[in-house]
Formats: sequence, C-alpha cells, structure tokens
Amino acid sequence: MEPIVHVLKYDYLESHKKRVCMFVLYCSLLVAILFGSGPLDEFEKRVDQYAKLHKEIDHKVPDLKKETDPKVIVQREKEFADGIRAARPLARQGDIFIPAVQPMFREIIKQETSGEAGRKNRSMILGEGNPKGPEAETSPKIVIHGPYPSAAPLSTVPPSVLKRLPLLPESLQYRFIGRTLILWDTTGNFIVDFMADAIR
Amino acid sequence: MRLKFCYLLLAILTAGLISESQDTFRFAIIGDTGTGGSGEYQIAEKLTGSVKEFPFDTVLMLGDNIYGGETPSDFRKKFEKPFQGLLTAGVKFYATLGNHDQPPRQIDYKHFNMGGKRYYSFKPKADVRFFSLDSNYMDPEQLAWLEKELKMSGSDWKIVFFHHPIYSSGEKHGSNLELREILEPVMVRNGVDVVLTGHEHFYERIKPQKGINYFIIGSSAKLREGNIGKTELTGKGFDADNVFMLAQIAGNNLTFRVITRKGAVVDSGTIQRAERARKQSSALK
Repeated sequence: MEPIVHVLKYDYLESHKKRVCMFVLYCSLLVAILFGSGPLDEFEKRVDQYAKLHKEIDHKVPDLKKETDPKVIVQREKEFADGIRAARPLARQGDIFIPAVQPMFREIIKQETSGEAGRKNRSMILGEGNPKGPEAETSPKIVIHGPYPSAAPLSTVPPSVLKRLPLLPESLQYRFIGRTLILWDTTGNFIVDFMADAIR
Repeated sequence: MRLKFCYLLLAILTAGLISESQDTFRFAIIGDTGTGGSGEYQIAEKLTGSVKEFPFDTVLMLGDNIYGGETPSDFRKKFEKPFQGLLTAGVKFYATLGNHDQPPRQIDYKHFNMGGKRYYSFKPKADVRFFSLDSNYMDPEQLAWLEKELKMSGSDWKIVFFHHPIYSSGEKHGSNLELREILEPVMVRNGVDVVLTGHEHFYERIKPQKGINYFIIGSSAKLREGNIGKTELTGKGFDADNVFMLAQIAGNNLTFRVITRKGAVVDSGTIQRAERARKQSSALK
C-alpha cells in the first residue's frame, strides 16, 4: 500500500505545484493588464539612465571633503547642474515621467490623499513646506533643469506616499511645488522632470 | 600624620572629580534658529556665555537651520556670526534638516557635521549615540537604515533627533501622526530613550510615551506665543520666550535645563535610564 500512497502524494504535490504556478502567472498577467507594469518599468529604466549620467557628471566636478566655505559648495552645485544641462540639451517634460506612467502616479497620490485618512497627507503636501503654500516667500519656476531657489522651502512628502511610489536613487527625490510633482536633483538643486496636477 | 591624611583626602576628592568629568557628557540643543534675527543672536549670546559654567562641546540643531536664502552670506549671517564664539572654542554643531533647509547646501557644510548625508548617526562618548533623521523625506530606505543602526548600536543611551514632532500640543501643527505611525514602532522596539524635535516655535516636554521622552525645542529664534494648546500630552510647556536646552548625561541620568534668552530656567529635570526597560515593557503590554 505504501508505494501507492507515496505516488498519490507525489502526484498530488506535482499537480498542486502546477496549480499554484498557473495561479501566480494569471495574477501577474492580471496585474500587468490592470495596472500596466510596462510604463513603470520604463519609468524605472529612465531613472536608472539619469542616475548613471548623474554619477558620471558627479565624478567630473571637484569633490567636497567636508567643505567649510558655502561659496565652494554653491560653486560645485552650479558646475554639476551645468554639466547635466550640457549632457541633456534636448531634455523635455515627460522624458522621465512618461505620459503612460502619469495616471498611475496620480492614482497612487489620490489614494493616499483622499478621505479622512488622507487629509493629513494632503495638508502635509500642500501646507507650510510647499513653495506655493501660505507662508512661502519664493517659489521655483517649474521648468526642466530650472534651479530650485535656495529661499524656497521644500514640501514634505508623506512616508506612505513615498512607500508606494517607485524607489529613487539617493540623487533624486519626489517633491511638490503647488500641485505639481517634480523630480528634484538633490546634488545640482534643480528640476529634472515634472508632472502637473499630480494632486487634485 | 594629619598632613598625610589631608593629602590622601585631597587625592580621593580630585580623583572623584576627574572621573566624574570624564564620565559626563554635556551638550546643548537649539531648534529653528536660522533667522539671522535678534532672537537668534540673543539665544546664541546666552548659549555662548553658558559654556563657561557648563562646559559643553556639542550642539544639536533641530532643523530650519537657515531660513530663506542659503547663499554664502546667509550662512555667515544666520549661523557663523551668531555662533562665532562657540565655533572658535571648538564646539561642534550637528544639524538635522528642517523643511526650510536645502539638503545640497547643508549636508556638505563642515560646521553642520552631517558628513554629506541627509541622515546619519554619531557617537560622541562611549555609551551615547545620536541619530539624526530627515523627517521631510522619510523614505523606506531611511527607515530601514534607522532600524539597522538602532539594532547594531551597542550604546546605552539612544537619542534620536529630527525636525517634525510626532507628539505635540501645538495649535499650528500638532502631532505628525503619519510620521508617528512609522517611526514610533521602530524606536520603541529598539529602546530609544529620548527624541528631540523642533518645527513648533515653542518649548514642550511631552509626558513619556511608550517609554520614550519627547522634547520640542523649536523656539531658539522664532516664537509662536500662546500656541501650546491644552492637551493631555504636555509635561511642561513654555511659549512666552525663546529658549535653548542644556543637557548632561552621567551614567544612568540625563539632566536637562531649559533656559530663556534672558537666563530664566523654565524647565528642568532628570531622566533615568533605569526606568526605560520598565516603561518599555509596560508600553508593550
């Protein structure tokens, strides 16, 4: 009897494995169809390309070894930003926030800023730190490679929003200017790309 | 014989004093300072004066270190000039980023000792470790870093500082619940003793929450008078003048004094490390 039980068990396990594999495959396809994994992959690919360029330019400008003089820091920031501008002369809005990925981002932000639970997130984004908020004195002009003025505050981005948006390399951050989501280069202090009406 | 006894007594007392000063770590805390205005200059003057009677070599800055523009002249006017005396004396400042601070300009600035990082930790003394966080941008990577650093830290005292308070009675901002939801479990789990924040332009000592002592010191230059609302959170609140804090860690005790620009002490006390384990276990129940 025992070998038969063994075979039965084996068959059952094999068919169960197959069923699980098929289920996972169907789920992946469903997710891809419903949410479109393609645009996100493309977004991440373009972020990676930018990160590579960032690294290249970063190596070309002098290193700051615990710099005392803010003049040198500001000068390096400018040199770095000029390097990126020269390397991306044809950069346009939507190069990284490609049109296909924008509805996905808007949906994530909408989910995290709607209803009672999202109320705090919404006020965190649009409130005090936002350069178009009630207390801001200066606001950056939203253009590709446009500088982020040092007098303008930086919007706080809620952790739950950051948790759901695709991860960025250390050199880039998501920030908001008014309702516009920007990709901000933290080394060169400028706008890499932007997406209007990210939060409605 | 009597003379020998006197020498012996003197030697014992001196040894005691030396060992106390070696075991003691003193530091100061300021928050939301970078206005370049009279409030900042008066606090800086008082703080510089207090180093004689309370010799500290470390100052924590709780964010909004430079308001408005961050040009080289802003750094001079809003930081280097008011704190010149302390900088010359070799006192080290350690900054955390506020919502008015520009990371690219500040993280590499030598006097802020951030080592080119948005978040970092440092250990000024064998059994004390500080953790500075960027609460403006609490991404999953930073959270994972904090968990790892806290776990790895063999320090007895764990002091975390960042800009946005997760407990606050402020009528303007109040507690940042979003941040609390993700930070508090990590800090409770890893035995954080003290959390220092700014953002609210007043002083508030929060009653210990889940074993952690919270302080808001965000009025070292700006002041939001009468902004502390009535809540169950407040251990002590003061919103009538600019303040800074002096603190000292000696063994199991952290003693603190909160001082106005006129020199009045508005709060003081001692936190005992030994209570931590008990508080943690009761918080988890």
